Amino acid sequence: MKAEDLQEEIIICRCQEVTKAEVQQAIGQGCRSLKGIKNRTEAMMGLCQGRTCRRLIERMLAPYQQQAPVTPSYRPPVRTLSLHTLAEAKEDGEDAC
Amino acid sequence: MHADVVVVGGGVIGNAAAFYCARAGMSVILVEQQDILNGTSSACDTAIHLQSKSPGVHLAMALNSIKKYPVLQKEFDIDIHFKITGTMLAIQREEQLEVMKSFAARQQAAGLNVSLLDTVQTIAKQPAMKGAELVGSTYCDQDATIHPQNLTKAYYFGAMKYGAKYLLHTVIRSFRIEDNCLTGVDTDQGMISCRWVVNAGGVFAPFIGKMMGLDIPIVPRRGQILVTEPVPKLTNTIVNCAKYIAAKFRPDLLGNSVEDQLGIGLSLTQTERGNLLLGGTREFVGYNTKTTRQAMVLIARHGTAIIPALKQINIIRSFAGLRPYTPDSLPIISTVPELKGLVVAAGHEGDGLALSAVTGEMVSEIIAGQPVSSGIDLSQLSLARFSREDIDRFYRKYAVA
Repeated sequence: MKAEDLQEEIIICRCQEVTKAEVQQAIGQGCRSLKGIKNRTEAMMGLCQGRTCRRLIERMLAPYQQQAPVTPSYRPPVRTLSLHTLAEAKEDGEDAC
Repeated sequence: MHADVVVVGGGVIGNAAAFYCARAGMSVILVEQQDILNGTSSACDTAIHLQSKSPGVHLAMALNSIKKYPVLQKEFDIDIHFKITGTMLAIQREEQLEVMKSFAARQQAAGLNVSLLDTVQTIAKQPAMKGAELVGSTYCDQDATIHPQNLTKAYYFGAMKYGAKYLLHTVIRSFRIEDNCLTGVDTDQGMISCRWVVNAGGVFAPFIGKMMGLDIPIVPRRGQILVTEPVPKLTNTIVNCAKYIAAKFRPDLLGNSVEDQLGIGLSLTQTERGNLLLGGTREFVGYNTKTTRQAMVLIARHGTAIIPALKQINIIRSFAGLRPYTPDSLPIISTVPELKGLVVAAGHEGDGLALSAVTGEMVSEIIAGQPVSSGIDLSQLSLARFSREDIDRFYRKYAVA
């Protein structure tokens, strides 16, 4: 099923419980970037960091983007990491994180 | 297009300026190259610090601003999550104690309720610090936290309610200047004729200044922050450390260790969802917004040393924001004698959230030709306080190849 066929109230971002309608409302306000959607709806900011919803939201934005979108960077950590493990890691090594 | 006021920049300061100007009855257009919240204002923690302000105009602005948020909340349609939490400033070493005592005494004299706590009192107030090596802390019950994105959005929706228009994803080509007077802004969406321009560009304010032939001494200072998974309430207050104060105000007094050079200082706040924001660094690396492994490890090490209860909590993300740093750590809120119709409102470093309300109010009062109701001495915030020599020295010192 295409993202645009989903019903309005369907949850797009499960972690933060953001609906398709909320993402569409942000686009309606002039938002044209993933970063903008994050700031306006808090989608993609939960535990999974947009693992599923990022692609869905990119597809929702695509028809409104005149140029190739600037893809936001991915930031560490790749998966959750305890602060103890991080604190014990070497500052310049390749271990743990 | 025509507007009384064109605000350049869609961060918390630009939106606050747009809100206060529109509320005062001016027609306002805000121009932003990206979306609102694209830079510093969405890459920060939630603290409205009073304890981290130097006594004087800086603290006076923060005290004025913090009183405005509960009042603004009643007017806003969005919950800005404003909450008085207090701040605890952990002191780890004896030699920091004297410095912090005198800093606290100056703040008390300026009207802040700061008290000095011993180790037992500190841990009683902040059980998450049990097991840390501390000599004590200072505590202030007036500091607050706020939701950065929601505050900016509250100004944004509020400004639109009063008729402000927003041109997002809009590039400014040039400014129209006639007889040393700004009269228009040429954008890729068309020309806007106007009577006033507010430069609220934050770390990009110097580029906007250059387009008008002005040098604005602001350089970006990177702050890296870790985000944890949501957890039950861990901290009763904002937590900082004495080193945070040193890194903020006297980077020259810091040593040569890696930690000191990165400006590592503890800042910990907890959002309403329960995520902890653990920072941070203060680094001069130009416009680079990457997070680095070195800083992440050192932030975790410093944070868990002061708050051992953090150890078992997981981080889910890291991020970095650029704070607009000025030569004296005070913002520039200023008209410019040689260019009529311009107000600069930029350079708040990490204090944009704290100072946004008073800044927005001052901008609208300056434009309306009224005396500033906060009573803040504008000469201390003027662009003219920096000599040509100051500006050159500043750029030489912080120029990043």
